Order: sequence, then C-alpha cells, then structure tokens
Amino acid sequence: MVLISRSFTGFLTQLSSLTHHNAFSVSAAAAAIQKMTRVRVVDNSPQGTTPWHRAPRVIHVYTKNGVGKVGDRVLLAIKGGKKKALIVGHKMPGERMNPRFDSNNVVLIEDNGNPTGTRIKVPLPTHLRKMEGEYSKLLAIASRFV
Amino acid sequence: MCFLNFSRQFLSQILQHNIIQGYTGVVRGACLISKARRSTQFLCRGYTCLSSQQSFLHLSTFQNCMGRYFFSELHRKDTISQWNSTEKSRTQQDGYEIESDSSHRKLQEKFNIDVLVSLLRQENAADICVIKVPEDIQYADYFIVVSGSSTRHLRAMALYAIKVYKYMKKDCEPNAKIEGQDAEDWMCIDFGSMVVHFMLPETRGVYELEKLWTLRSFDEKLSNIPVETLPEDFIYAADFNVTK
Repeated sequence: MVLISRSFTGFLTQLSSLTHHNAFSVSAAAAAIQKMTRVRVVDNSPQGTTPWHRAPRVIHVYTKNGVGKVGDRVLLAIKGGKKKALIVGHKMPGERMNPRFDSNNVVLIEDNGNPTGTRIKVPLPTHLRKMEGEYSKLLAIASRFV
Repeated sequence: MCFLNFSRQFLSQILQHNIIQGYTGVVRGACLISKARRSTQFLCRGYTCLSSQQSFLHLSTFQNCMGRYFFSELHRKDTISQWNSTEKSRTQQDGYEIESDSSHRKLQEKFNIDVLVSLLRQENAADICVIKVPEDIQYADYFIVVSGSSTRHLRAMALYAIKVYKYMKKDCEPNAKIEGQDAEDWMCIDFGSMVVHFMLPETRGVYELEKLWTLRSFDEKLSNIPVETLPEDFIYAADFNVTK
C-alpha cells in the first residue's frame, strides 16, 4: 500500500535484485501534490482506513496551476470511487518556519466542506488557521498541532 | 433526578477548583442579564464553562454526563441562583459591563466571551457549551459549541454574531467570516480568541467536539484509531545505497 511504496522512494537501480520489485519509477518530492500522486489519508473515516489493493491517488487539483500545497482541495480516486480531500501536509519543503511532513497527508472532505472522518490523530500545521479558506472544521477535529 | 445531583456535584467541584479567572464575571453576567430581561419573559439558560483538565478525577462522572447532553436539563433558575450566592462573596471584576444597546457604549466594550454568550442566549441557542482551551494548545482561548433547531436558525445565529462583532470591533481587528456557508448542518466562525461552532444536534452527536476538547488525548474516538504498523516487507530507505 502507501507504506510499501514509500519504502521505494529514493532508490532506483537496486530494484531488480529484490523479490518485491515494482515496475514504476520514483523520484524525490518535486512539486508538492499533483495528479497521480499517492497520498496518505490521515483521518478515521471508513473510506480512508479500510485496506484496498491500490493506494488513494490524486486525480485533480483544484488550483490555478495543477500543484497542490497545504490547504488546497484535491479530488482523490479512493476505493474505486471519487472523493474530495484537503491537503494537510506534504513532503516538499515550503516556507522556512512551516513544518514539512514525511508523507503527503490528506483529509477526506464532503462536497459541502464537512470532514468525512471524526478525528485526526496526525499533527496538523498551525498555519492553516491563518490561511484563507475554511479550515476551522478540520482544526476542530484535530488532536495535535505542529 | 440523581443525574442532576451528579452534575451539581461535578460543577461544585469545578467551582471550588477556581479554574477559570473570568468565570466569576461570566456567571454573574448570566444572573444579571436574567434579572434585566425577566420582564420580557426571557428564558435564561446557564452554561458551564469547562476547562480541559489535566487531572482527570472527574473523568468517569463527566463521561457519564456527556453522553446525555445534560446542559439544557441542568440549568434551571434554581441552580443559577445557587451559583449567584456562592459568587457574591468573590471580589468585583474590573471593567465588567452588561451588554446594552446604546451606541455611545460601543467604544468602551470589547467583543469578549460574555458578549458572545449573551447574544447566543438571546438567539435561543440550545446547549451552549463553552470550553476554556489551555495555553499549551495555541489555538484559541475559548471553544464554543452551540446547537440550533434548523439550518435557518444556525444561519441566523451566525449572521447575528457577525453583525454584533462588526459593530463592536475596532478597525485594527480583522473581519470574521462564516465558514461552512453552504453546509446545512455545521457552520463555524473564528473570532481570533474565540471559535464558535453552530451545529445541528445530530451533527453534534456524530462529531462530539466537546469530548475531544475537554478530554484532549483521553478521547475514546482517538484511542479507537488503530496504531499504524509497518508491513513485514517494509525496507527502510536509509538501509539502501541510493544510486541515481
């Protein structure tokens, strides 16, 4: 799943010697979150937590350029269906004094902006509060801030 | 009615601990406003100002009560008068004023928690829950959850709160906007030092924000999230030589 594919990030040519070799190439974090990036769903919604043979992937980013940063809404292909989500952390370094996460974290959201899950265990960045957009609901169900 | 005694016991323990400094002003505000508005047959609902407790002595009783939303049942005029008598002995809080409608008062008053709660009561908000957020969580000072009877009611309350805030704020303070305008069951407003959430009772039962914000890490939904474990064939990237 996402964790197995995360382990391959960073090494390219040694793959042929391993038994669990996958036929895709990986690159370092290039441009935050764009189409076809695999993401990690961090809330406790049933759609995000039940296992599936394919990791959730971004299929559309709702910004002017196709790059998603923290606080941008994206469309995910998850468990054979489409779901909107909000980015709460990415591997790409952003501003100097803002946290950088080791995985591309995402929280599932309904069309009206309500979060699908009820709790978020993973720490959320505090600069979400100052950004333009509707993040108070996510901050209300978060347990840790970073 | 053992339920009421249970909750009274719990509240008296909170009062004794004197957790919140502004609490005295807040409770007295409730009593004063009820006296002022009695002529208009205004039903005054008290509210508990809970703080996130580090020592969870009352955890079991609290969890017992929480599941049944005891707030609206708890607060009758007799309990408010009981608080009134205990609070009278405490010292006067400087700068406390009753909310009035005269325009010359605008510059002297600040849009603080008392004003917000009194306007929520005026709007017949149900189950007002005010939680004092501890300083370590640098989010806000007060976290308020309020129920409404319908979507229209929630929207009306939110718009009225914004209106009063705009009237009372100084020009240097930023504007507050309503988040979740197109959602029908959950709206929220972030006033900087306070955050208000307007929800329908069903939505409130689904999310249980009060539980999360009072029992911070002891919340049951948080502990029900299974711990993420690495799969057996996981290889840590640092163990491999990376050649590009």
